[in-house]
This record gives sequence, C-alpha cells and structure tokens, in this order.
Amino acid sequence: MSSPGQILKENLWTNNPIFMQVLGICSALAVTNLLTNTMIMTIGVTFVTAMSNLTVSLLKGLIPRKVRMIVQTLIIAFYVIIVDILLRAYLPDISRALGPYVGLIITNCIIMGRAEAFAQSNPPLISMWDGATSGFGYMAVLLVIAFFRELLGFGTLFGIQVLPDAFVPWTIMVTAPSAFFFLGIIIWIGKSIMNREGAPA
Amino acid sequence: MNKQSLVYTVIFTFIVSFVFVTLLALANDGTKERVQLNQELNRQRAILNALNIDYNGPQDVQDKFQNVEQIERDGVTLYRTTVDGETIYAKEFTGSGLWGLIRGYLAVTANMDRTIGIEILSHNETPGLGGRIDEPWFKQQLRNEKIVDGTIRVDGAGDGDTNHDNGQIDAITGASRTSDAMRTILSRELSTFQQILGGNS
Repeated sequence: MSSPGQILKENLWTNNPIFMQVLGICSALAVTNLLTNTMIMTIGVTFVTAMSNLTVSLLKGLIPRKVRMIVQTLIIAFYVIIVDILLRAYLPDISRALGPYVGLIITNCIIMGRAEAFAQSNPPLISMWDGATSGFGYMAVLLVIAFFRELLGFGTLFGIQVLPDAFVPWTIMVTAPSAFFFLGIIIWIGKSIMNREGAPA
Repeated sequence: MNKQSLVYTVIFTFIVSFVFVTLLALANDGTKERVQLNQELNRQRAILNALNIDYNGPQDVQDKFQNVEQIERDGVTLYRTTVDGETIYAKEFTGSGLWGLIRGYLAVTANMDRTIGIEILSHNETPGLGGRIDEPWFKQQLRNEKIVDGTIRVDGAGDGDTNHDNGQIDAITGASRTSDAMRTILSRELSTFQQILGGNS
C-alpha cells in the first residue's frame, strides 16, 4: 500500500489527473475563464472526490460486483447534488455563474476513476486522502490555466483589475479554445520536465 | 448471504438509493426557504438596478423595494415608483438571444421620453462576446437614454455610446446576433410600454 506522501506526490505530479491521465478535460475547458469560478468549482470537485472515495471504500464490502459502478455513480451524484444545494443556498451568485457545470461534476471522469481504481480496493481513510489529493492535482492545473485566461481575457485576477486600462483584452482567452492551447502547453511542459528527470513518461 | 445473488443485489440497491435520496430530499427541504429568499432578492435587486435606485446590502434592497409598487395594467405586470417627483415604470422582458432566452427588466419614465435603465436577469450568450450585454458599459448606455421616434437604435460598435440624447446605443463588436436580439427586445418592449402608458402621459 502506498504511503500518504507518495499518494500526494503521485496525484499532484507523476500521475496528475489532468496532464498525465488526461481526465476531466471538459470542465478544464469550461470553467477556467475566471479564477473565482475555477476556485469554487475545483473545491467542489475535491470535496466530491474525497467524500465519494471515502463512501465507496466504506461500502465496498457490501456492494455486489454487478451493480458496482451504478452504486459508485449514485454516491458521486449524491455529493454533487449536496454541493449544488449548498451553493444555491449560500453562494447564489457563484451558483448562477457556474450554472449547469456543477451538475456536470457527476460526469467528471477523475471522480469515477479514483473510486474504481483506488477506493474499491483500499481502506477508507487513505481512499479519502487519495480523492482529496487527486482534487488538488486537478485544482492546481485548472488554477494555472484560469490565471492566464482571466489575466489576458479580462485584465483581472479574482475580479480585481491588474492590467492597465490601455490593455486590450484577448477575446479568445474568454472562449473555450484558449483552454485547449493552455492545456496543451501545460501537458507539454509537464511531460518535458518529467522526461528530463528520467521518470517513465 | 450470497452478495452476488439477485435478491441481495435488488435489496442492496433499493436500500442504498432510498437512504441517499432521503438525505438529499432533507437537504433540499432544509434550504428551500433560503433559496427562495435568494431568488426573490435577486429579482428585487434587478428591478432596483433597472429603476436606477442605489442600495447597500440585502436588507437595504428589501427596504427600498417597499417603495416599488407592483401594478397590473392591460394584463402586464409593471413596477412603479417615484424618484424626485418623477414617476417611473419597470417591466420584465424576455426575448430570444443567439443561444437562449434573455431575461431582464427595462425601466422608462411615465411620459416615455427616456429609458431609466436596464438589468439582465439571465442570458446564455457567448461569454466575452454577446455575454457582454451583462457588462456595466453596455447597460450604462441605457441610463437616461432619450427615446427617439418611440425606439432606441442599436447601431455601430465601439466602447459604448456616451451621448444619452441621441436615442442610440452601441452594438457589441463580434456579436451581431446578440445585438440584433437586443434591438428587437428594445423596440418591442418600448412599443409595449407606449401602448400601456400612452394614454397616461
């Protein structure tokens, strides 16, 4: 069994869900044009991955193999709807900004992937840790993308104007295609560094 | 009991679904009032914005909204208030944009010589392009804009028309279809206002 430190390093770097496993790409494109939205969205994903991993791991002895994945989906959907309800009640403005994307966390392959690959065969606490760190790995990459997209697309960071008024915002940064470019660049940089370190890519 | 048997699978699935759905129903019910309050607050805020009434914080919104009278005229709901001795009216509008419905509030003076303002409640226009109808520079154009020949032209494209006496506002560069939609909405809403308020000027 892997140690917590090893899991952290794997999920943040050598096995990062975004740039090594290339999972959860749809949301990486959709919610990264503003840092605030990205932050809330990735906190949501981290919470759901951690809690669903914990729950799947606790119930794994009871789940019949035939309906294993359906039960995992049910558990994931449960936590996503909880997040949605909390946002609607306590952060209505963010809830409106994220719109349908919160519900779409259910289809985020990272969560299902971790439940099936890790929680199904590991004890509860370490599964929860694995889920949380996978969420952090996802968060780190998305925040980097969002940083550049918001900076160049709006001239702001977390909604605060940082570039001078004379700066002409790049409209493409606000639309989804720019996330493809940044994601490509990040995967490129990440893999290059890894190759240099001699790690198997 | 055999965990792979059909009976166990059916019972297990039933219990798991029942438990999770019950928890969700409870969470939903527990926050229902809060969510409704948020929606109502959002609506009141939008109407106050359209009517150009300033407010500080949620409590102030509710207080100021007390002065806004809701009336029915020709089957249309209008919001009426008096600011500095001048009676002004707001009305909800809906219209089809490029991708979906554009909803909001438009306010005019009782004699229909100027608009008071506009507020967008929801839209699905392209972020960074048509989505800019929700940005201050666009909405600011309709603050005290003179209504010429019963309408306001949406024409040209630029950084916003600062002349509030020419009965014209700037369209949005790169968002012709959304600008068309706003043109249609404005002319239709203003003629509806004209019909309702016409005999009252």
